[in-house]
Amino acid sequence: MRKYWELMKSQIKLDSAYSIWYWSGIVATMLRVFVIYSFWNAVYDHRVEVSNMPLNMMLTYVILAAMLSNYSAGVGYELANQVRDGNVAIELMRPYDLMHKLVALDLGMKITNSIRNTLPILILAFLFLGISLPHTWLMGLLSILSAIIGIFLGAQLDMIIGILAFWVFYIWGLRVLRNAVFLFFSGALLPISMFPEWLQTVSEFLPFQSIVYVPVAIYTGQIIGNDVYTSILLQLAWLVVVYTIIRLLWSFALRKVTIFGG
Amino acid sequence: MIEVRGLTKEYTIVKKSPGLRGAIKGLFVRDYTVKRAVDDINFSINQGELVGYIGANGAGKSTTIKMLSGILTPSAGEVKVNGIIPYEQRKKNAQRIGAVFGQRTQLFWDIAVRESYSLLKHIYQIPDKQHKDTLDMFTEVLNLGPLLGTPVRQLSLGQKMRCELAAAFLHNPSIVYLDEPTIGLDVAVKTRIRAFIKEMNKLHQTTVLLTTHDMQDIEEICNRIIIIDEGKVLYDGSLASIKERFGQKRVIHFELELEGEFSLPDALQGKADVIAGEEEGKIGLSFSSGDVNAADVISAVLAEYRVRDLTIADPKIETIVHEIYERGV
Amino acid sequence: MINRYARLYWEFFKMHVKVKMEYRVDFLIGILSVLLIQGTAIFFVAIVFQHIEALHGWTFYQILFIYGIAQTGRALEFAFFDNLWLLGQDYIRPGKFDRMLVRPINPLFHVLADKLQADGLGQGIIGLIVLITAMVNLPIEWGMGDLLLLALLIVSSGAIFMAVNLFFASLSFWIVDSIPIMGAVFTLSDFTRYPMTIYSKGVRFVLTWLIPYGFTAFYPATLFVENADFEKIGLLSPVVATIAVVIAYWLWKKGLKAFSSTGS
Repeated sequence: MRKYWELMKSQIKLDSAYSIWYWSGIVATMLRVFVIYSFWNAVYDHRVEVSNMPLNMMLTYVILAAMLSNYSAGVGYELANQVRDGNVAIELMRPYDLMHKLVALDLGMKITNSIRNTLPILILAFLFLGISLPHTWLMGLLSILSAIIGIFLGAQLDMIIGILAFWVFYIWGLRVLRNAVFLFFSGALLPISMFPEWLQTVSEFLPFQSIVYVPVAIYTGQIIGNDVYTSILLQLAWLVVVYTIIRLLWSFALRKVTIFGG
Repeated sequence: MIEVRGLTKEYTIVKKSPGLRGAIKGLFVRDYTVKRAVDDINFSINQGELVGYIGANGAGKSTTIKMLSGILTPSAGEVKVNGIIPYEQRKKNAQRIGAVFGQRTQLFWDIAVRESYSLLKHIYQIPDKQHKDTLDMFTEVLNLGPLLGTPVRQLSLGQKMRCELAAAFLHNPSIVYLDEPTIGLDVAVKTRIRAFIKEMNKLHQTTVLLTTHDMQDIEEICNRIIIIDEGKVLYDGSLASIKERFGQKRVIHFELELEGEFSLPDALQGKADVIAGEEEGKIGLSFSSGDVNAADVISAVLAEYRVRDLTIADPKIETIVHEIYERGV
Repeated sequence: MINRYARLYWEFFKMHVKVKMEYRVDFLIGILSVLLIQGTAIFFVAIVFQHIEALHGWTFYQILFIYGIAQTGRALEFAFFDNLWLLGQDYIRPGKFDRMLVRPINPLFHVLADKLQADGLGQGIIGLIVLITAMVNLPIEWGMGDLLLLALLIVSSGAIFMAVNLFFASLSFWIVDSIPIMGAVFTLSDFTRYPMTIYSKGVRFVLTWLIPYGFTAFYPATLFVENADFEKIGLLSPVVATIAVVIAYWLWKKGLKAFSSTGS
């Protein structure tokens, strides 16, 4: 455990250099949030409610969802690259579990990002764009828990794509497909509850809504009562399922590497 | 054909203080240091000369070549190549020069070498017939045959450099600048490349300005060298005359059956220096022909030690350059 | 002169197509991926319009029309001018730009001709699909003159996208790599998907007169869609495009000069 902690810290340090990349990134994110804000304000022009949601609830949802969805991607790309250029063979000889190492690095990156990127923008959004606080404090805490599970789930799903690089050459296409599916079915763009009925049903059977929709909807109060706990349990169930699939795939992949040399 | 007068290039370097405080301070106050990479250089090179341009890393070689080829504008002084000022009439100058910049490829990465050449044909507007003839000849001299159909990214370093060289000469330029053309190559490829350069020079009177760290390149290709250090010309003249001037310094290597330490025979005290042996029982003696001749050195050693073998080394341009760096001309 | 460059571009173009044909699967995946991503964005708008009838007075197909113009214009820029993004990272930083300067052709032309972005084709296809869908569903009689005007406006749109990128790419001559700045500025083009009336005056001013993304889609669209107050300004698009290109090229020239006095 200790070495993964150190790996994570090293990644945090690496990302901490303030640079033109950082400031440009902040500006770009703010612009995006502003477009979202203007768009939804226009949607609510002459309307009090859309799909049973008042404006400030909707704004809270779409802005938080946009922020959270930045954390859904992760280690898969890095892994795919290492598989592609053959570095994975060297990595496998090192005294750590490569999967855990990648997750640790990814976590480090996400922690720095949340502090220097997301936090300032969220504060600005609270002050100027009328985002509301969680409807109860308990729900606020549960939504944070749920968001963390969601981030892990997103990273694990991403990892599947990375492992597939052992068999599929055109991993890039898979990534784009993944991005489009994530963006849509995670609820990053708008609440799943606005989807047409049949799409909502489809979405319920997919793991993606656990990544963004569930945590944010708990926060805004679109999911309430016992549904909150069942949703979180469902998230955990998905996490276990996806983790099992990854371990299985990974052992197949390792066999492939050790037998065929990558 | 290349005229360089008082050529100078200065860079201003902004001094950065470390840390965030330094960065903020840097917004208001800026400290500059001026670095003079090329300092008042003069030379002229005639059509058909093969010139070696030598200096340590950071001596100003690349900066000079960039100014000659029109990439950089000098801070002071003037360059004329074929009667035009390269950095003012860049495109016109480019039409008549060729260049190899070390490891940076001028070919197109993803396409077959032949297609790269065909694209260069269009860029330089080479007539079809001339292009075909030149390419045929290069293919033979550089043995490009098996490479022409391969994309550049699949070539080995040596194969790539052969193709690069052909690309630099393809449009029959009157001057070619070669920046480290043999770096990292094996002997066979180096030999082929040297032969090609000499051949092109003989056929078309192509002027070649060559920078290299490989003294063998210089010895085999060049008939003139310019040595540059800290932006200034240290030496400009023929290879033969510098050898003559510094060449009295010679070295004889002995392989001895030693029992104990080697000590310099009395007869040679003050006339020769011992070069610490790299291996057990191997000794080098360096001396000036002015002080003592080779036969005397050998007989003095033979008188005191059992010699298994000995070799007399020719004066190498490498040692000469080294000496010039150390002591000046 | 123009003739020579056109012929030369054709040679580069043929070469790129040949390479693309070698990597056919990559090529197809690239096009598909653009289709998917753009599809997601349109799906999003469609779902929102299930719940509302109009956005600031703009109907679904009118919004699609704006979107279609922007995507088609952007596709032109994406296909032919994409290499500008890599000016700092792939040319100036590794010293490859030196090579452009010892060739007897215009270095900007050379950088642009070095790459053909095949994904631009995917972008163009979806742009046209969206555009035509919107055009068919809007209550407008499309005459030959309208279509020609629309084509001109789309070309202007592409030119504006290109000019903005060229301007900020040219900063690479001073700061080595301006990709992050280009990226941040490019985010502004997100604003152009929707009617500009939904933004505040300040934002509109910036998008009209400073970074004229407003002319890439919204103002041109108002020329055809009846309910807007901007009808005349849309006609300025070609003028704005020309001015933007001139300014951007001026900065490029200045950058080139700075480069030749400092090197990389």
